[in-house]
Amino acid sequence: MTMTDSPPVADTAPAAASPRVVGLFDALTTTDHKRIGRLWLRSGLLSLLSATVLGVVLSIENSNSSPDDLFGGVNNFFQYFSLYRFGLVLLVVAPLFLGIATVVAPMQVGATNIAFPRAAHGAVWLFMIGAGITVVSVAAGGGWGALDGVSSGERDAIALTLVGTALVIVSLLVASVCIATTVVSLRTAGMNLLRVPLFAWSMLVAASVWLLTLPIALGNLAVVYFDLRGGPGEFLRNRTDLPGLVEGSDAIYTQLGWLVEQPQVYAFAIPVLGLLGQIAPVVAGRRHAQHIVAVILIGLFGLLSVGGWSQPWFQGPNHDEKSIFIVFGLFAVLPVLGSIGAAIDTIAKRSGEGDNAGIAGLLSVYGLGAIGAALLLLAGTVAGLARVIQPWDLGGRTTTTAVMNLALYAAVVAAIAGVWFWAPKISGNQLPVSTGRLVILDVVVGAVLLGGADFVNGFLEAPAFAYQVPNSTAPLVAAPSNQGLVDAMNVVGALGAVLIALGVLGVFAALAKAARTSGSVDDNPHGGQTLEWTTSSPPPSGNFSEPPERVVSEAPLLDTVSESGEES
Amino acid sequence: MVATTGLPAPEITRPRSLLVGTMFACAAAFMFFLAVVGVYVVERAEARDSGSEWFPEGVIELGPSGFIFWTLILSIFTIQWAVQAINADDRVNAYVALALTGLFGAAIFNQLWFIINDTGFALAADTPQFLFFVLNGTFIVFLIAAVVFVAFTFIRAMAGQFGPRRAEAVTSAALFWNTVVFMWAIVYYLIYITK
Repeated sequence: MTMTDSPPVADTAPAAASPRVVGLFDALTTTDHKRIGRLWLRSGLLSLLSATVLGVVLSIENSNSSPDDLFGGVNNFFQYFSLYRFGLVLLVVAPLFLGIATVVAPMQVGATNIAFPRAAHGAVWLFMIGAGITVVSVAAGGGWGALDGVSSGERDAIALTLVGTALVIVSLLVASVCIATTVVSLRTAGMNLLRVPLFAWSMLVAASVWLLTLPIALGNLAVVYFDLRGGPGEFLRNRTDLPGLVEGSDAIYTQLGWLVEQPQVYAFAIPVLGLLGQIAPVVAGRRHAQHIVAVILIGLFGLLSVGGWSQPWFQGPNHDEKSIFIVFGLFAVLPVLGSIGAAIDTIAKRSGEGDNAGIAGLLSVYGLGAIGAALLLLAGTVAGLARVIQPWDLGGRTTTTAVMNLALYAAVVAAIAGVWFWAPKISGNQLPVSTGRLVILDVVVGAVLLGGADFVNGFLEAPAFAYQVPNSTAPLVAAPSNQGLVDAMNVVGALGAVLIALGVLGVFAALAKAARTSGSVDDNPHGGQTLEWTTSSPPPSGNFSEPPERVVSEAPLLDTVSESGEES
Repeated sequence: MVATTGLPAPEITRPRSLLVGTMFACAAAFMFFLAVVGVYVVERAEARDSGSEWFPEGVIELGPSGFIFWTLILSIFTIQWAVQAINADDRVNAYVALALTGLFGAAIFNQLWFIINDTGFALAADTPQFLFFVLNGTFIVFLIAAVVFVAFTFIRAMAGQFGPRRAEAVTSAALFWNTVVFMWAIVYYLIYITK
């Protein structure tokens, strides 16, 4: 018989769950798209801070014409130079946009959640693991090749870098599938593709382009990895004969370098046009004047940014002299110009009505950010246009770096503007306006200095990678036509990198300030016109307290629909 | 007679999420495969331009790889049979068709393993042999993924999760399977026919 005289001691006060443990448990198990999006954004912002600090160090090193001072040699410099470039694309820009889209796109199309929420959640953790492996392996002597040849000691670290990069790319692909599927198949009633909000549309285009191009990088990585791990070594040998590099050195970087060069680098800036098209009507307080045109232009820009074909591995070392490369470079500027024109048309019509609200909207953080990002992207595509003009012979020079910096920092500015614009939906608060303006101004000016310096240096015949490996038998790096001016421009570029880093620090300061601020936020503080502004700030689980009404235009909040279903 | 011109337009029939997601995933998988194929084609063209031999004469036989090709052609019919059966609510036929497709997948894996051993190639020997492994290995990875997808669909079908109004998962499995069959058609042509 069981003694029951002494009953087991019950917990008189159940242990209160620690908020920190609950938060961690929630982060590990959530299927809410808003929380998943916030994880993406935190990862992207942390990577952004690291990348900009690394950018400052690289710029300072670059401005003194020697890689030995801070990095201890050309090989280390090359590894961090590669990490900065690939990191800016894969660890910063893509996750930032995926984060915003994961939070916002389902609400914009009237869905209660993202498609495949568990896959979306798995993707963000896979990204963090992959990003961690990549950064740690580079610090351990890995990277995407070794300029003085891959020694046996470096093989493991390089292999680890390749695995980390592959994990990051797979995570971006999975997240892209979730975003694209959400926009295609979870739209609310009445929302055809022409009525999809421009940001969600641009993310559909971007995700589609990423799904068609990033697997090519993954295929290249697979070939190189297996070659490194037991193959004949053919794919570790230099094939492009870049000046300054030795045989057996930059092959891995060369096979992935197309990710950070035109036209592929534009693919990571596609949402810039979506954000511009999304914010211009809000600034103007009216419908987008050229919505259908904007939809077509974003699609066209996506088409012109497909760059998997442009890698030297398939096209040969002179791939940038081929007509298709030139055509892509020439035409990429048109959709950007067109999108800016459509935004100006929208805003001008409001200004023409004699209302100052348009000016106030332009000076808002998101207004400044959208315009700044679009102008940076325009500058990037113009630099890309200059690069394909054959008589100028800018291929292999710092012009390629200018295109990359301008396009990617356009994306960064757009992402910051997006965070400020959708903060009520992302975190349920508003970010400080004055800090936001300063951040936007800082990053835009910094990007202009950084990209502008590289652009000018391109015309001074400065090579994209300026350092010679000691005792190399490879062709010597050609000296710029005016070394003094190149050095001066490198100092200007370093100043730009510092400004960008300060701006990014400002983002963190603003986030910290907003986190300490309490108070309710309006459901639609900016006068937004799309469905995400019909729900509360922050949105409830399931996004909408009741299903959205049937959509009859691209700006549902401006529609008044009579009971008979006719728009008035 | 009822005038229909004044009635509102019918709701747009939305494509289902799993099917749309599978389409995007298939596109990404195929681009990955094409990247590896691209490397193979470029390397082979360079080797032939330089006058060197790609594969040693007589090592790669057409017969076994042809068996794989025709087995995969058969599997297209069986997987579509499963789709048709589930749409017709004919569960027994759907089970048989899915099981047969999975069985074909296992048979292909077995045949491919035989081919790889039969050639006697080594990964580190030279570039052609290395790329032979990479291209066939890529196909094997996707084949395994397709077999797992079909097996998972089979288990869910056995649990009664599908029917005429919920046939999306079976259609998605069929889409991925057919993509993998198309991949083999490319491998078969590039490696085994044109060598």
